[in-house]
Amino acid sequence: MDKIDIINKRKTAKINNALGVFIALFGLIVLAAMAYTETSVQLLTDMVAGLVLVSIGGGMIWVSRRSIKKMESENEQ
Amino acid sequence: MLSGIDYFIVIAYIIGMLLLGLYFKKFVNSSEDYFLGGKSLPFWAIGMSIVVSDIGALDFVGVSGQAYRYGVSVGNFDWVGSVPAMLLAAFIFIPYFWRGGMYTIPEYLGRRYNKSVRTIASVTWILFFALDLGVLFWASAVLLNVLMGWPIWISILSTAGVVGLYTYFGGITAVIMTDVVQMIIMFIGGFALVFLGLHAVGGWENMVEKISTMGPEYQSHFDIIQPSDTKSPFPWTGILFGLTFVMANAYMIGNQSIVQRCLTAKNEWHAKASMIFGSALKMFIPILVLFPGLMAVVVHPDLADGDQALPMMIKSILPPGLVGLMFAAFFAGLMSSVDSLLNSTATLFTKDIYQPFIKKDADDKHYLKVGQITTLVLLIFGVATSPISSDFPGIYVAIQTFMSYFQGPLFAILLLGIFWKRTTQWGGLSALVIGIAFAVFLNVFKEHFFHIEDPFLYISWWSFLVGFVINVVVSLMTKKHSEDDLKGLVFSSKILTKNKSL
Repeated sequence: MDKIDIINKRKTAKINNALGVFIALFGLIVLAAMAYTETSVQLLTDMVAGLVLVSIGGGMIWVSRRSIKKMESENEQ
Repeated sequence: MLSGIDYFIVIAYIIGMLLLGLYFKKFVNSSEDYFLGGKSLPFWAIGMSIVVSDIGALDFVGVSGQAYRYGVSVGNFDWVGSVPAMLLAAFIFIPYFWRGGMYTIPEYLGRRYNKSVRTIASVTWILFFALDLGVLFWASAVLLNVLMGWPIWISILSTAGVVGLYTYFGGITAVIMTDVVQMIIMFIGGFALVFLGLHAVGGWENMVEKISTMGPEYQSHFDIIQPSDTKSPFPWTGILFGLTFVMANAYMIGNQSIVQRCLTAKNEWHAKASMIFGSALKMFIPILVLFPGLMAVVVHPDLADGDQALPMMIKSILPPGLVGLMFAAFFAGLMSSVDSLLNSTATLFTKDIYQPFIKKDADDKHYLKVGQITTLVLLIFGVATSPISSDFPGIYVAIQTFMSYFQGPLFAILLLGIFWKRTTQWGGLSALVIGIAFAVFLNVFKEHFFHIEDPFLYISWWSFLVGFVINVVVSLMTKKHSEDDLKGLVFSSKILTKNKSL
């Protein structure tokens, strides 16, 4: 892997981390909105939508942090 | 007006978008970073961004409205009207643009034909994008005014402030990455809407039965192929010739704001994959935008304006939280259209006008500054011209119609430019000029030539055909380019293999 590849990978990881935080936060807000629903179908919809957002956001954060850690350990070696 | 949690979500979304966009400032150090994201972005982000910029908030509302009025035939725009063109772009055109290190489509036209073709194409795009800006600012302001109760001018200035700041500082990386967030939210909100909508109308079969028995005007609501004498704007002849053969290809291959995204890819594989991934996502769009329009026929059968179908469905069907999220995604859709126009116009101006005509050999930082200043000037122009939209309500349609004049001839010269070595600079130039003039002529005298109300699909087909024929005839009469001139610009079967030498 050359220097440009490493810089690009690091950039992608940082971007993914930022996006992940943003999406996960919105997922939490949608989950909080469950308190305002009136029917069970509405509650279920908010719950599923919120959990999907949290999972996507959390997944992006996890993948990006793992990628950054991996690059750092490769650099140390 | 929105209330409580939904209001909070829209505000949080706007502030979050601003912060997220500003975060990308740290990745901009050169003009390549600003216009092409440093050629480092992954295919999935670009693919999502292509889909989002293609289906902006205005189209989201418009397509649902057309589904409400005309039925499923409008879905053709996202299936045959997008997917084949995106695959053609991915495998044939994008590799040439990417390998050529190009920034703009007119830049390719300039290399393949001549400087005049490049300038005409570039100026036309700049005019179109700049005029569109005011319309989009106004649409965003109206949305904020209706949802949040903010005065129109506060709404315009806050939209311009948010979009302007992150586009000015973050360039195309900010544009693409904010699109990713918007697409994820739009898909989740859209599927929730379809799920709850189907629940409300008693399932798909029940909905079909109810709509089919609502009267003769609903008889062909579920016919994806409409007869050639239909009164809707989507006869199969127009869909096949105007949309599938011309407009879709012109849009996916010749539209700066679409192609520029692919050119930000980290390598050629990612550039191609972004289009293919985008085409896969596009197949879901009709489900997200058509179905709510159809369901609204059952849930809200007496809407005066079909364009109210989607907002009404969101308000009446979605639970608190998702209502705010969907409206925030709408607003973000408008912001995404604005930021795409800002960045693409700045790229066109800097690379096709400023660099060749005003200051040729300046250093890279200078062109980065020019791009940023152009973004700022466009922002001010967009804000200043936005009230025109309220004085002339048909202006958006007029701008889109103007664009359809350009699409046919543009695609004709792009197609021949890639696939026919014999086409010459004079062939290309005359095809572009005469083709656009012919499209204007057809539009002015449309009552004499066409029997449908809005024959834009037919106009784009005939102007394409005229541009194509003119290009062939004039090229055969003029001096052809040498093999060296055409290196890397015309089709070679090697483009389909891993061989990077053309």
